[in-house]
Amino acid sequence: MWIRDSPSVFAYWFILTWHAIGMGLLVGASAVIDLRLLGVAREMPMAPLKRLYPLMWVGFWIQVVSGILLIIAYPTKALTNPVFYAKLTFIGVAFVMMLRINKRIFNDPSLSDEGMMIKGKNLATWSLVCWIGAMTAGRFLAYTFNYLMFPDEQQSAGLNASFAFLYSLEPYLKSIGAAGSHVLRLMGHI
Amino acid sequence: MNLQNLLNLAHLHLLLNHWPIIGTFIGVGLFVVALIAKSEDLKKASLGVFSIIALFAIPTYTSGNAAYEVIRREETITKTMVDAHQGAALMSFIFMEITGAFAWLGLWQYRRVSRPASYTLPAVLFFSVVSVGLLTITGNTGGDIRHPEIRSGQETTSFVSSIGSALFSSTQHMVTDASRWVWPVLEDLHFLGLTLLLGTLGLLDLRILGFFKPLRLAPLVKFVPWAIAGFVMNMITGFLFFVGMPFFYAYNFDFHMKMFGVLFAGVNILLLFCTDAFRECDQLGATEEAPALAKFFAATSIFLVVAVIILGRYMPFFEDSLRPLN
Repeated sequence: MWIRDSPSVFAYWFILTWHAIGMGLLVGASAVIDLRLLGVAREMPMAPLKRLYPLMWVGFWIQVVSGILLIIAYPTKALTNPVFYAKLTFIGVAFVMMLRINKRIFNDPSLSDEGMMIKGKNLATWSLVCWIGAMTAGRFLAYTFNYLMFPDEQQSAGLNASFAFLYSLEPYLKSIGAAGSHVLRLMGHI
Repeated sequence: MNLQNLLNLAHLHLLLNHWPIIGTFIGVGLFVVALIAKSEDLKKASLGVFSIIALFAIPTYTSGNAAYEVIRREETITKTMVDAHQGAALMSFIFMEITGAFAWLGLWQYRRVSRPASYTLPAVLFFSVVSVGLLTITGNTGGDIRHPEIRSGQETTSFVSSIGSALFSSTQHMVTDASRWVWPVLEDLHFLGLTLLLGTLGLLDLRILGFFKPLRLAPLVKFVPWAIAGFVMNMITGFLFFVGMPFFYAYNFDFHMKMFGVLFAGVNILLLFCTDAFRECDQLGATEEAPALAKFFAATSIFLVVAVIILGRYMPFFEDSLRPLN
């Protein structure tokens, strides 16, 4: 609740900012490795790129923490949206690819750089595709949500009868509703 | 939150708007002299001028919308005058950015293979000369707004201005009204561009700063075009956002700060990776240290890109922070 309502610069937008920077670190570094595996900058030796992994881990944990905080801020918004689960799937696959590239490519001393490229081609392609998918899904979350929150004043008019029982909770939801309409106004401009 | 006393947008526009015009004129003059004299150094210098002026044009264009709101209530200024100026400005902006992009490409080719491709310099010449023509109209229509002493009497709208205005409204329609998916797709591309830029540029900057020592810089430099691709992608999508909802951005304090951030970040990338200033950096061996000045620019480059991301993400928080009070 604090995350959503606080007028402080360190609340919602701060966490979103961290989410974007974490994304840049994680996906950006991962993309460099993928692109190298796919043949960009061939003369560059592979081995030192392994040192990008700590950077990616930093990005990954920034993403986990800020992502959880964002879900806490708007649980209904994300959890009722199928796109959110698509995003999680993409992240899951991309993350597995990232680990596999580390395990099968970087940690296999028998492989030359050429061997790494041949073996890593599929992994790198899937990794890139899934990161792009995850980012696209994530960005679309802001536009495709069905319910920003529990039905509030603005949305209740359009809801069907199965949600009628929630109307009785209206007084209790009033305060959330006020915040909700404020956020909706903001969302309209993002 | 109101931050109007921090920034008067009309002043900002007046402060900036003479630079792109004068800069382009000087650039073309320098470029023509360089072509006649066949001086490579002069050619590079004029390409640098075009690139920097193209970056300068960004805050100049975006502060224009905001400036209009400040002077809107003055009786001697009509909507026709402002529309004529905006249409011409849009056309000039587009051609200046194309000129800048080719100039940037030319500098890159100079740095990598010591001479530009056969098409680069003619393209720069063509687009810069067209820009000069367009900027003349932009300057004249803008002058009509702010300098009543030079007005010709009757209101005229030039051909260029009407094309620009038509382009403006059709782009705005496409971005905001044509489909609810256009905006999200553009946002998505904007974020992809951001990641590409931060990932590739970040690695280069970190290597210059002394991380990833076993890597030679030469092969890493192959990633610079990818970084530039991210930058250009974000320029285009960002510009479409601005045309889509100019007044969301024009009244946003944060947005103008971000535009200055983009300007400085662009100049920084240009200087570090595309001019000859740090050419010896490209040859940096596996364990060699970069010169201190290159390290300084690598550090500022990371700082500026991160600052631009932060300012971008915080934009909705500053909505209407510069909206005129009455």
